[in-house]
Amino acid sequence: MNLGIRAILYTVRKWKKTLLIFCLLLSITTLTLSGLAIADAQEEQAEEVRGTTGASFTVERNLSTGGWSNGSDGTYSTQEFISEDMIKEIASVDGIAGYDASFILMPFFYDETGKALPATIYSFFTYGTLNSEYSELFLSGRFELVEGSHITDEMTNGIIISRELAEDNGLKIGDMITGVCYPENNTPEVEMELVGIFDVVADKDDQVNMYDASSYFDYSDYTFCSMGAMDKMVEGWGDDEIEEAYFYVSDAAQLDNVIEEVKKISSINWNNFNITANDEVYQNISSSLSDTGTLITTLIIVITVVSMVLIILILSMSVRSRKREMGILLAVGIAKPSVILQYVLETALIAVVAFPLAYLSSRQVAGTLGTLFGKAAENVVVTSQHFALVAVVGSILLIIAVIVSCIPALRFKPKQILSQME
Amino acid sequence: MNIMELKNVVYAYENKKKVLKGINLSVEEGKMYAILGPSGCGKTTLLSLMGGLDSPTNGQILYDGQDIEKMGLSAHRKNNIAFIFQSYNLIDYLTPKENVALTSKLPPLPILERVGLTDEESKRNVLKLSGGQQQRVAIARALASDAKVILADEPTGNLDEDTAADVTAILKECAHQMNKCVVIVTHSNELAKQADVIFRLRKGDLQIAAN
Repeated sequence: MNLGIRAILYTVRKWKKTLLIFCLLLSITTLTLSGLAIADAQEEQAEEVRGTTGASFTVERNLSTGGWSNGSDGTYSTQEFISEDMIKEIASVDGIAGYDASFILMPFFYDETGKALPATIYSFFTYGTLNSEYSELFLSGRFELVEGSHITDEMTNGIIISRELAEDNGLKIGDMITGVCYPENNTPEVEMELVGIFDVVADKDDQVNMYDASSYFDYSDYTFCSMGAMDKMVEGWGDDEIEEAYFYVSDAAQLDNVIEEVKKISSINWNNFNITANDEVYQNISSSLSDTGTLITTLIIVITVVSMVLIILILSMSVRSRKREMGILLAVGIAKPSVILQYVLETALIAVVAFPLAYLSSRQVAGTLGTLFGKAAENVVVTSQHFALVAVVGSILLIIAVIVSCIPALRFKPKQILSQME
Repeated sequence: MNIMELKNVVYAYENKKKVLKGINLSVEEGKMYAILGPSGCGKTTLLSLMGGLDSPTNGQILYDGQDIEKMGLSAHRKNNIAFIFQSYNLIDYLTPKENVALTSKLPPLPILERVGLTDEESKRNVLKLSGGQQQRVAIARALASDAKVILADEPTGNLDEDTAADVTAILKECAHQMNKCVVIVTHSNELAKQADVIFRLRKGDLQIAAN
C-alpha cells in the first residue's frame, strides 16, 4: 500500500481530526487573504493620497547671500533672479509634474475697440505666469477654469480673466485684449489673446479659508497672462523678474528625493537660492495613513504567526497521538521519509480543499472586515495574486509545520517509540 | 543453513547498564525458536536487535551472511523480517485487509482466511476485532510480507488459552510448513515447549535450554 492511499484513508477515516484542521486552515487562510486585501486597499488609498494631496517645493532667491544696494526706490537686493532656463532645467528632473513661476504687476487693459476695462479699485492684479494651472489660486480651489485653457510656458501672449470681468465687458474666448503697464511712462502696449475664463469660487465672507485680503484687490480683478507678454509690458522699464518658482511633484512621498536630485543640478549656484518643501498636508494625512497601515500589517503578522503556532501545536498533538502508528510503520520497514511524506500529503489534501474555499469565503468577508478599518467594502478586493501568494507561502509553512511536528518522534529508533507506547 | 547469526552482541542502556553481555546465536529456516526469561532480562531487546529496530552497542548481526547495519536497518526490516507484537500493533485506521496489504503486494484475503478470519471480519475496523482476531491479523501481516524470519514478542501474552493455542499452531505451521524461521520471545513455558529449540536468557547471557 503506497503512502498516497494511506494518506487518503487516514484523512477520510479520521474525519474529526481532518475537520478540525480543515476549519482551522479555512479560518486562517480567509483572515490572511482578507488582511492582504485590506493592506492593498490601504496602500492604494495611500498612493491616491500621495497623488492627490500633492506636494511642492519653492525655489527662491537667497537674500542673505546676495548683498544689498540703494536706489531711488530704496534698498534692494542684488541677488541673482530665477531665470526661465533655470526653471526648465529644474522642471526636467524626474518626478516633477508641473511648475509655475510668476511675478505680479498691475496693468491696465483695453478691449479691441480701445475701451478701457473697468477695474474695481484702480487696475488689475495680474500674474505673469508660466503655468497658471499650478498657480496656488487654482490649486487651492479658489479659482476654477470654466472656459478655454490655462496659460502654459509655450504661450507668448495669452491671458485669463474672471467670468465677471468677461461678462461685464462682453468678452469671449479668442478676443484680443491690450495690456499697458505704466501708460504714464509709455511702456509698450502688448496685445494678448483671451485664452481662458475662470470662476471665483472663493467666498469673500469665508475669509479664513478662501479670501486673500492681503492684495486689497477684488478676485474678479485678478488676471493671469503669459510670462512673455508680461516681460514685454515692462520692457525698458524696471527689472521685474522671477523671485520664486513653485514645483509640484507627482508623488508626495518622493518630495525629498526629488529635492535632492534638484540640488544636484550643477549649473545652478545653490548658494544663491533656497529650496523649501511644502508638504504639510501630505505629512499630516500620511501620518494617519501610516498608523493605520502599521496597525493592519501588525494584525496580519499577528494573525499569521498565532495561526501558524496554533497549527503547529495541533499538528504536533496529532503527530504525538500517532507515535505508535509511526513506530509500527517503521517496524514493518516503511522508511522515515515515507512516513513524513504521508503526513505532509494528508495536510496537503486538507489544504487543497481549504485554500480555494478560503479564497471564495474571503471574497465575501474581506469587504466587511475592511469597513472595520475605514475602507470602503468595494475597494477591498481579494485577488488571484493574493490567493497564489497565500497558497504558496501557506503550503511551505504547512510542510515545515508537519516536519517540525514529526522531528521529536522520528529522532527515536523504532524500538524506543514502541517501548514508550507500551 | 543459518539465516541469522548474532556474534558477540552487547547492548547497554544509556546509563551504561549492560542488558546483553556478548550474545552468540544462530537460527535456521524451518525451525521455531523460543527465548525464555524473566521480565526485564532483555528478551525484547534481543528481538529488537535481530529485527533492526535498534542497534547493538557492540557485536555484529548477520542476515544471510550480511551485516544488517551495512544493509540498512530499514531495508532489513522491510525485506527480511516480519514482527508479531504482544499488543498486535495494527494501524487503527486501516481494516485487517489493509493492514495486511501495508507492506505486501500479495492478495490479503487468502492469507487472512488462512489464519482464520472471515471475509466480513477482514473489512471491519481492526479495533472492533477481539484480541485473538487482532493477533491473527498481525500474523497474517507477517506472513504477507514474505520475510524469511518472523520475530514474535509474547504473541500469546494477551490471549486466552484456546486462542493462544490456535496462534501457537499457526506459528508452528509457519516454521514447519512454510519454511520460515520463527523466533518467539516469551515467558510462557507452554508456548516455549512447542518450539524446536529453547534458549534461556539470564543475566545477559543466552544458553540453550532444550533442543
